[in-house]
Amino acid sequence: MTLDRWLSRIPIDSPSPFMKQVPTIVGFAIAVLIALVPNEIPVSNGLLFAIGSAVVVVASISSFVIPWSRFHPQWAVLVPILSLLAIGLLRIATGGSSSPFGVLILLPFVWIASEEGRINILISAIVILLVLVTPLLFSRLSHSGADFVRAFFAPVIYCLVAVVINEIAHRMRTQLAAARESNEKQETLLSQAVTAQDELVLKEARLKTANRLIQSIWNAVTEQSVIGTDLDGLIDVWNPGAEKMLGLTEKQVLDGHHHVTEFHLPSELAQRIEDMDARFTTVASSDEFSALVDTVRAGSADIRDWTYVRPDGKHVAVQVAATPRLDENGHRVGFIFVATDMTQAREFARLKDEFVGLISHELRTPLSSILGYLELMRDDEDAPLSEEQLQYLSVAERNAHRLLRLVGDLLFTAQVESGRFPLEIKDVELDSVVSASIESARPIARNAGVTLVSDVPEQRLDVRGDPVRLGQAVDNLVSNALKFTPAGGTVTVSLRPDGPQAVIAVTDTGIGIPAVELGRLSQRFFRASTATRNAVPGVGLGLTITKAIVTAHGGRLDIASEEGVGTSISIVLPVETPQPVTEALPQAELAP
Amino acid sequence: MSDQAERTRRVVIADDDDDIRGLMTIAAKRAGVEIVAAVDNGHAALEAVRGGGVDLVVLDISMPGINGVEVAEAMRADERTQSTLILMVSASVQLLTDHGVVADRADSFLVKPFSPRALSTRIREMLQLDAQRVEESA
Repeated sequence: MTLDRWLSRIPIDSPSPFMKQVPTIVGFAIAVLIALVPNEIPVSNGLLFAIGSAVVVVASISSFVIPWSRFHPQWAVLVPILSLLAIGLLRIATGGSSSPFGVLILLPFVWIASEEGRINILISAIVILLVLVTPLLFSRLSHSGADFVRAFFAPVIYCLVAVVINEIAHRMRTQLAAARESNEKQETLLSQAVTAQDELVLKEARLKTANRLIQSIWNAVTEQSVIGTDLDGLIDVWNPGAEKMLGLTEKQVLDGHHHVTEFHLPSELAQRIEDMDARFTTVASSDEFSALVDTVRAGSADIRDWTYVRPDGKHVAVQVAATPRLDENGHRVGFIFVATDMTQAREFARLKDEFVGLISHELRTPLSSILGYLELMRDDEDAPLSEEQLQYLSVAERNAHRLLRLVGDLLFTAQVESGRFPLEIKDVELDSVVSASIESARPIARNAGVTLVSDVPEQRLDVRGDPVRLGQAVDNLVSNALKFTPAGGTVTVSLRPDGPQAVIAVTDTGIGIPAVELGRLSQRFFRASTATRNAVPGVGLGLTITKAIVTAHGGRLDIASEEGVGTSISIVLPVETPQPVTEALPQAELAP
Repeated sequence: MSDQAERTRRVVIADDDDDIRGLMTIAAKRAGVEIVAAVDNGHAALEAVRGGGVDLVVLDISMPGINGVEVAEAMRADERTQSTLILMVSASVQLLTDHGVVADRADSFLVKPFSPRALSTRIREMLQLDAQRVEESA
């Protein structure tokens, strides 16, 4: 270990009492060694010398063994006080003012004077007065007047020295504290800088990873075109998907001259402008561009079918989602157009329509023959059928009608799904529609042993809607309720006005539906577990169709059920339906 | 009573399905009409109607060759056949309602599956209505 490193380990600014005592110990040891040389230092009082030495030793040992850090720092001053008094005794025992031990007074005196607090000036002055004056008072030797003057003058000087030492020590402590504080601040700042540097490196790495991910995604989107524009429609973003869909490279397009409307079918833009009429919400660079982004400017994303035109003149049927493009402050700086090629999807839809039409025709035609010829048999007056034969015929007819209804339901569901859901809107006497459904269901209720209760008011209740479809919806609910209610149960069909709405409620005391399945009831082909468990016939289209009809009328279907208690399904219709909802239901609504 | 009302009314049946065509024929006979021809395609139907003296044609829409709609269009475009009554039949409600087929070309329509009783009644009603109209215009 080098000297510098060894010294650096000594706590100079705040040494322990032992470290402060070390100079006194060393000085005392040297003086004692000198005193041991015969005739060098005359020891006039051996007892005092022994007591003084003992006190110095005790003070030194106490400076080392007592855990001073547990006490108030001021208590440590006891060590130099004791040392100073002991040196005073040694001085008396070895010649008084001429004693070599007198020099040692300075060491504990400086310690006391340098301690924090003005009180230590007073302590040092009192102790030094005791040390210097007492020998004169109690000595049996004669003293000159000069000795007394010196004995009192010296403490005054010591006192002044104590003041100076105390002040210097105080200032040094203050400077040291300031330096330490500054050092701590520097260390904190340095630590913060290092942390910030580490975070910066981490963020940079993350940013690079994110950039690589975005670039990978960007390059992977080859089946959808992503076109970005500024606020005026000038293209400044062109992804590989756009390159593939429209046949132009990024370099060819991003020259600051290509406008997004160039890739749209002009007639479609013109039609859109005509449809929008004077409803432009903001001033646009061109009407054509406004036709694309007007809805987006108004605050919502716009998803619309368009036709892109490639430079070679080929048309691409697309569905474009237009959204705003924002800067880091959330201000709109342009638009993003994400287009999906719909050519295949539309072809699939066309084929599906064709298929549904074909199936419908191919199933209905043989059913026509079956039902027609069964009717001819029933009506044949030349060869009347026996009761038993008529009964067999009824079974055949009933099942043929069942098949027919299934075909109708499938066709209707397909129409709903494709969005081609025709409604003939007119004034409908809802009370008549509901009553007709109840009456037509009475024979079935009677056969099933179920009481069918009608709670329809006598006064008219008109709504706007398609009477056939509304009748179909009520028929479905009543038919379901009868199917799910065991013999002896009750089905109640009620109609009541409720403010601007009309509510048709069909309530049964049937087997009910588990609560967890209620949300799935209107899904296509979904059947409640209670229905399959009890072998209730059906395919799971009735409620899908009913919900589609009710939704198309701007209404809603409320379902409440308790397993083993019964089910209540309500059709809630607006009394005035300004415009029927004829759009396709979302796929999720119909998904099995 | 006019000649129109007294004479046996003449009807052409056109449907590509043998069984349905048979059913139509039986139902038409029960309406008391004479079946001029029961054919399975549009060309034959048009030919039969153009043969003259046909009061009503029961026309299925989906037929091979020219379909029922095209037959009806050809009939309406021909002076000889433009006054012949047309009763269109189809398994597709959509076909009957989507393109204004009934309003523009046919006098009435029936959706498959149909009741033979309903077909008889419909033929009888159409012919009676036509006879009344002729009588009134005379």
